[in-house]
Amino acid sequence: MRPRAESLLWDDWHAVAEFEQLSRPGRFLTTLLDVPLTLERDPKTDSVLAHAGDEPIASLRLKYGFVWVCLGDPARDIVNFPECDDPDRLLGTAGSVRVAVSGLRAVENFLDLSHLSFVHAGFLGEEPFTEVKSYSVESSPQGGVIAKGCRVYQPKASPVAREGFDVDYTYAVLRPYIVVLYKANPVEPQRRDMIALFVQPVSEESCVAHLLTCYLRHGVEAAAVRRFQQFIFGQDRPILENQLPKRLPLTAGREIPVRADVASAAYRRWLAEAGVRYGAIPAA
Amino acid sequence: MITLYDFELSADCYTVRLMMAALGVSFRRIELDVYPGREHESPGFLKINPSGQLPLIDDDGIMRCGAQAILEHLTGRHDPSGRWQPRDDPEMPARIARWLEVAGRLSATAGSARLHDTMFYAAEIDACRAGAHALFRALDEHLWFAEQSGHDWLCSAGHPTIADIACFPHVMLSEEGGVSRLPYPAIRRWTDRVKRIPHFASMPGIFNASPSRSAPT
Amino acid sequence: MSAIGLTAAGETSAAIDRWFPVARGEEVVPRHIVQAQLLGREIALWRDDNGLVNAWENRCPHRGVRLSIGLNTGTELHCRYHGWRYASGSGQCTYIPAHPGQKPAATMRVGRFGSAEAHGFVWVNLSDPAEPPMLSTPAGEQLTTLRSIYTRAPASTVAACLLRGYRFALDPTVAADSPMDAALVAGDPYTVRARVHAGQRESTVTFLLQPVSASDTVIHGLLTMHDVTADRLAVLRHHNAQMSALRDTAESA
Repeated sequence: MRPRAESLLWDDWHAVAEFEQLSRPGRFLTTLLDVPLTLERDPKTDSVLAHAGDEPIASLRLKYGFVWVCLGDPARDIVNFPECDDPDRLLGTAGSVRVAVSGLRAVENFLDLSHLSFVHAGFLGEEPFTEVKSYSVESSPQGGVIAKGCRVYQPKASPVAREGFDVDYTYAVLRPYIVVLYKANPVEPQRRDMIALFVQPVSEESCVAHLLTCYLRHGVEAAAVRRFQQFIFGQDRPILENQLPKRLPLTAGREIPVRADVASAAYRRWLAEAGVRYGAIPAA
Repeated sequence: MITLYDFELSADCYTVRLMMAALGVSFRRIELDVYPGREHESPGFLKINPSGQLPLIDDDGIMRCGAQAILEHLTGRHDPSGRWQPRDDPEMPARIARWLEVAGRLSATAGSARLHDTMFYAAEIDACRAGAHALFRALDEHLWFAEQSGHDWLCSAGHPTIADIACFPHVMLSEEGGVSRLPYPAIRRWTDRVKRIPHFASMPGIFNASPSRSAPT
Repeated sequence: MSAIGLTAAGETSAAIDRWFPVARGEEVVPRHIVQAQLLGREIALWRDDNGLVNAWENRCPHRGVRLSIGLNTGTELHCRYHGWRYASGSGQCTYIPAHPGQKPAATMRVGRFGSAEAHGFVWVNLSDPAEPPMLSTPAGEQLTTLRSIYTRAPASTVAACLLRGYRFALDPTVAADSPMDAALVAGDPYTVRARVHAGQRESTVTFLLQPVSASDTVIHGLLTMHDVTADRLAVLRHHNAQMSALRDTAESA
């Protein structure tokens, strides 16, 4: 198969469906990097078969409740989260959602702090607590960007939060289309709840958002976590779909960042340095 | 107290939540995992509602299913003002029935396009979008002439009725299904007015209206 | 009826620095934002509480979110994403909620287009603001703006359809007044005048074409009527029906 994107994306793993989505009989159709895919679950063996057109896809795995596919030759493993093996955690998903914008915009939105008191007012933020205090950003040794010490006042930080409090966030961009957020658990503050966003690049201007939640079990009900994530992402989606241009600009110019955007500025810089073009408007 | 079997992201369920908010009716929500869990098809829910459909209300033992049937039930039983489905004007039932029918077609076109574009529901997407645009054209023309006659709402009652509540959700969420409202300026003004209905309730995907002139900014 | 040939080139050359109507003035209501488009550029059109009309590039300079989904507070437009605020008139950012103590830099400003109100319309010029041209309309005539018709056809096709034939009645509330063939004249690629008369009575519609994009057009109409006693709503409905039929023709061309 002729690569439709740079090797950094083509030879990497991407989530393309929730395993739960394949429980209906019949084929599930989706697209990855402009390649139409057909997924089918074998009811006898419970394994999944994937095809790109007539060609069977060799690199296919199930992990964290998702079907992962690599269209080229995998240069590395699927992202790994040791926390997900902790026996006292609940893993959850929130239903894959299609978004008509470049997946890079969806990743950047996940990193963004200053929208919480507007787009998610009353839940992840609230006026007048809109100030974004300084936080630190560093490069990750494996590539990507880490933002630490992000603090925001949240009236309802999670489904089990009874009152508002200041929440401490850490973000890590692990791949161009994968980002994870860690927040201190309200009951055991020295340990962190984790939410990972696996964005499936469908085309340069559209994507599918797959969410993985990995919360400590304390008083958490799986259905409530799923509903909360769906609610929150449902608020983000119309903002993402109203961003123009649909692809993420990688050069400074038309979109002006401020100090609160230091994580997203670092993300755009890293994408440019790594040579990401798919879903982006690269430097000339 | 009314019990509503509900899914947050369903436009039809939101229609009912919006009507109850406008009526000031308290209700208890039982939220089902419709997507991706398909809980509405589970044996547990099918025992409660064999059709497996949402929205469903249980009003003190009276069960009603589907947005329109529920809206009619709510305005029949829980609207002491009689304003939401006015019965004094003999023309009004026919007018309201016409817009409830349009609301049904909006659900089948704009609503299906949205479910397809967001949650992978099967739909003839081009036909759905074309159908939505045809309905929006007619709706925009109707609203424009209503404005010229001094009316702000779908039915010329001088105030909103269930016609406006029934049609608003699928119109307001149409862009999630790839149906832009840029060509329909009268619809865009009407959706702003619906958002200013007292006790208006929103949902993810719907933004509140700009502060009106009488409200403090 | 003069037939003036129109080419596709007519709709693009030098169009960027001319004035086009984009909305009827009375539709740019307070505390609302009109979403318009001209020559492929989206416009967030809004009126402040003093009546001033702003025609802005429909894009927040922060992260590109459409301003047309934002809030019109009567003095400012607030972006829906991060709450950035922009002042009416200057388009200058006045407040960035993430940094409440800081004055936003002068570079934080929305893109603005020239805007003006004339003859019941809001007109926009995508290049630097300039004096809007005045239409030559007969003095003392009653001017009525018709309902604007969004058409999925290029402006050149719409103009050609108009020139092939637009029919309307002098007074549609009068039984004797059936639609008549109008005398049609193209003023320029985006303006077509249609006139009908019977004896001393006459009526003129000036069609003003707004090229939304290469494929879509909004047909605006300006009606001058000699007889002001005709039922205004009936006249509006009549032209709406005639223009809608013309739209259908243009869309299937």
